[in-house]
Amino acid sequence: MPSSAHDTLLADLGTEPDPGIEAGRSGTAPRLRGRRIPPTVVLSVLVIVVVLVSAVAPSLLAGQDPINGVPSDKLASMSGAHWLGTDYLGRDMYSRIVHGARTSVLSAILAVAVAVSLGTVTGLAAALGPRWLETPLMRLIDVLLAIPSLLLAMVFVAAFGFSSANAAVAVGLSMIASFARVARIEALRVRSAPYIEAAEVAGTSRVGVVVVHLLPNIATTLISLAVLEFGAAILALSTLSFLGFGAQPPDPEWGQLVAEGANFFYAAPWLVYAPAAVVVIVVLAVNRLSTYLDARAFDESL
Amino acid sequence: MKQLLRRAGVLALVLFLVYTLVFVVLVVLPGDPISNRLSDPDAGYTPQTVDLLKQYYGVDKPAALRYAEGLLRALHGDLGHSLADGQPVTGKLADAFAPTLELGGIALLVVLILTALVGLGALYGRVPALRVAFMSVPSLVYSLPVYLVAVVFIQAFSFQLGWVSLNGDGGFAATFLPACVLGITISPPLIQVFVRSLINADRLPHITVARARGIPELRILTRHLLPGAALPSLTVLGITIGYLMSGAVVTETVFTRYGLGALTQKAVQQHDQPVLLGIVVVNAAVFMLANLLVDVVYPRFDPRVQPRFSHAK
Repeated sequence: MPSSAHDTLLADLGTEPDPGIEAGRSGTAPRLRGRRIPPTVVLSVLVIVVVLVSAVAPSLLAGQDPINGVPSDKLASMSGAHWLGTDYLGRDMYSRIVHGARTSVLSAILAVAVAVSLGTVTGLAAALGPRWLETPLMRLIDVLLAIPSLLLAMVFVAAFGFSSANAAVAVGLSMIASFARVARIEALRVRSAPYIEAAEVAGTSRVGVVVVHLLPNIATTLISLAVLEFGAAILALSTLSFLGFGAQPPDPEWGQLVAEGANFFYAAPWLVYAPAAVVVIVVLAVNRLSTYLDARAFDESL
Repeated sequence: MKQLLRRAGVLALVLFLVYTLVFVVLVVLPGDPISNRLSDPDAGYTPQTVDLLKQYYGVDKPAALRYAEGLLRALHGDLGHSLADGQPVTGKLADAFAPTLELGGIALLVVLILTALVGLGALYGRVPALRVAFMSVPSLVYSLPVYLVAVVFIQAFSFQLGWVSLNGDGGFAATFLPACVLGITISPPLIQVFVRSLINADRLPHITVARARGIPELRILTRHLLPGAALPSLTVLGITIGYLMSGAVVTETVFTRYGLGALTQKAVQQHDQPVLLGIVVVNAAVFMLANLLVDVVYPRFDPRVQPRFSHAK
């Protein structure tokens, strides 16, 4: 095969970048021409905005009661009255999915917040703290990495008890290691930069140097990782809920909606497909945004 | 050899720390089934029975003592007894290990076959659009939750097409179907790295020269492209073992198969601390051994990578 064919392929990749490939590591990274934002990114942002609106004010988008249904309407298929049909208790599925965004999205935000804050502190402490602290912290990261992440989250949730908030904290704790590793490596990279040295010479306090000069310079990398992990958190949380360890009925949550719908798959397949499709679309959008942010950070660093 | 011993030492240390961390997380926090059952006023236990039972399950002792005893027993290969049914944890793990090994082994084969197919498709697809389609497969599959694929596969292949009976002894097909679900859902990271390395390798000048000299494409692929692309994939294969164990929890639960994953789900459900502790230690051991194996094998394929100790002071 002539290599020009591959150049075409790579050019195609540039305009239609693969959402899952994390950019900045190799030649297939999406190219950003100027500051133009690719249409897929615009679409992703739109999806994320709609989901955030559903999380904050679900009644704006869905008027029907997500908890109390009309039993005589149970397992109705899609119609004008029920856009996505009804479940086995006659509850409007569209409304349950929109209201489910509250639990699913807010939990994922909480999980990422836990992971970012604890992970960054751990990573910075390992990189910049007293020398005796580095080995124990690195060992802690090793331990967290040695346990498969879903299993680790399940251990925490077994200890905390089953609820959406506990599942969120559990998933957050299980993601600490990746943030700690990135924060440590980035801090080590930035630490030797001339402006850090200048700030130290100018007499800025140790904490001041970290907060004012170091954190803003590692923030871009941490933010694009946070966006990526947000998608992972949505998947992990919906998995925990599917298994019954997250949000408890009747409170709607996407993974739990799929678990409920699976019992009626033959009669009403849309009860599985609708909430699952929302999870897939949100994760795709989030990953696309993360790839874009990552590529932009990479471009800026050049 | 010296390096191998060092790595084995680190592995043992991390395993010990895993045991400690999980013990702290599970025991420091309340909610074990014994205390729940005993404190339930409807259970009708007399105070004497409560004391006896607490003694029997060992929950009357302080946590530090239980930790020390448990660790000592664990070093002798005894992980204690299940709080839910009183069976020895080691026996439960041993029973659950074989079905999961079978499931995981076939799933890994599925992963390798998929990786090869997508890789070749992305490299040799006739039209650019086809190649781009192959390249976007992994990111699409990555966003599919395991439970969705499992539910849809059961519905399609078992209930509607009737190819696979999942009741009782369904034979090979009853293992193959969940293995496909597991394999498909954990494959994206490996596929991504493999495809990217393959395409990067394809752009190197010596490949162009080889093609210009008229060397058969099959030989270019097997002698020049694959060895370079397989190496980065090897590292990801180690990580894939971790996804495999996480994915097994969902797959085995949805397919109601017996195995480590189903045991995990049950242990979490019942707050069965000793079983959960044992599962995590076994999982961490397998995961780290797989990665150790990758690190040991790697330098044999890539002479540029020197074992770490030769650089050490």
